[in-house]
Amino acid sequence: MPDDIAEVYRNTYPALVRFLYRKVWDQGRAEDLAQEAFARALVHRPDNTRGWLFVVAANMARDEARKAARERRHLTLLKSEPDATELDPEESIDAHTQAQQVRVALEQLTPRDREALLLWDAGMSYDEIATQTGLARGAIGTTLARARRRLVEAYDAGQEGGQHVARG
Amino acid sequence: MSHVDEGTLHAYLDGELPSPERAALESHLAQCATCRAQLAEERALLERSAALLGSARPVERAVPPFEQVRRATRRPWYVRTEFAWAASLVLAVGLGYYLADAIAPREAPANRGPAAVASTVSESVPTDPLVIARQENAPAQKSTARRPSAPPPLEEKAQLSQADAYRRDSDVMGYAAQPPAVSLRGAAPLPFDTVRRSNAREEVPIADAQAGVVEISPRAGAAAAPNANRADSRSVRNLVSTSWPVISRGKAASLLGDRPVGVPGLVTRGIRSSPKGDTVVVEQALDSRTVIQIFQHPANTETDALGARERADRVLARYVGRLRVEISGPVSTDSLNKLLEQVEPLP
Repeated sequence: MPDDIAEVYRNTYPALVRFLYRKVWDQGRAEDLAQEAFARALVHRPDNTRGWLFVVAANMARDEARKAARERRHLTLLKSEPDATELDPEESIDAHTQAQQVRVALEQLTPRDREALLLWDAGMSYDEIATQTGLARGAIGTTLARARRRLVEAYDAGQEGGQHVARG
Repeated sequence: MSHVDEGTLHAYLDGELPSPERAALESHLAQCATCRAQLAEERALLERSAALLGSARPVERAVPPFEQVRRATRRPWYVRTEFAWAASLVLAVGLGYYLADAIAPREAPANRGPAAVASTVSESVPTDPLVIARQENAPAQKSTARRPSAPPPLEEKAQLSQADAYRRDSDVMGYAAQPPAVSLRGAAPLPFDTVRRSNAREEVPIADAQAGVVEISPRAGAAAAPNANRADSRSVRNLVSTSWPVISRGKAASLLGDRPVGVPGLVTRGIRSSPKGDTVVVEQALDSRTVIQIFQHPANTETDALGARERADRVLARYVGRLRVEISGPVSTDSLNKLLEQVEPLP
């Protein structure tokens, strides 16, 4: 029923945008993709809307990445329509720098560890993560522990490396 | 009980340890200082990791009304353009009917199938970079459920009145005069199509459908000029440095004698060269609506690409390897400086 999806929408939309953002690293696109996922859910009416949304979102993000790789070869379009609700770009510079460092750290995780971590951060339970990733439920704690450790270590290593470069 | 593994500790901290195990763990922790210390360590790690992820989150914005999604008013642009693409084919097929009836019923090539449509469409290579970009993206939502297009419904036939203006254009006729059994290559799977159709009438401005025609068959441009102008003024408004031809990365590298540079992590939207080929500009998106330009040329050559300076309010420069690099964009000098510091050869 649409009303059920509307409820899921209210509860899940921000988490889905966050999840997508860590994959496409562009807020506008993350929002577009999240809305597209919900629009598809309205058509498909999956049984487990929430889980379904994250699967579809992950697939769309992957397609986006492939498309972006293709676009790098020819694309010249500048999509820069003014938008009154858009943030001042100034504010996004520092955030971008920080996000960039986290992004680099995240990319050093294995895809499975990263997925588990992003799903947990999006508010999924261990059971849901197990369903989503195909991992045994009992392995989720270990997976998350490893993912968190690697994220922190990779980030710190990046910080040290960055300082050397800056000072060198 | 032996010492607890980190996975169990994380499950415990996450509140995901089933209650029998939790009770056992807690009683163990009460007696085992090692595991308590380990728990504190894991907690710190968990909080640190959450903080890092939290620092890389999108800006919290109000959740758009669900009604907006239901009506799909904010479709990603590639879906909208895909509609335009499909609409242009619908219009073209419809036009084919019209022309077949009105002009040359016997000359309609009866054996031209979908492949002919595809090849004709792909042969009409657009010159406008905007068009290339749109076509590039149009098939992103590939059709898995192709369906033969039945004779166009009434509302599509109604669009034929707009097609009168194009009637004499031979290019349009060339690929419009198709038999009824062509597949709509650009049509989305059925359920979506249904949604789109229901939305189309209320929300997609007719200009979009017309723009679709203009984009997909640029050679029809002369006949469609009034509409083309309208579409162009809307969509080309934000296109920067259109007079600089688009080049590939490889071409940029050969012009520069080095890899082109940019800000790592930003999406590269395009690479162009100055008309003389002595300067390259890499255009990158800060977000989906803010684009910065990174001009670069070999440091040992003079360039008259001062258009860059004229165009930009603020230009900052530095040397990266053997390249002199200038940056400009609609953000503050401070921010441009920060971005310029990050510039390095693109992968």
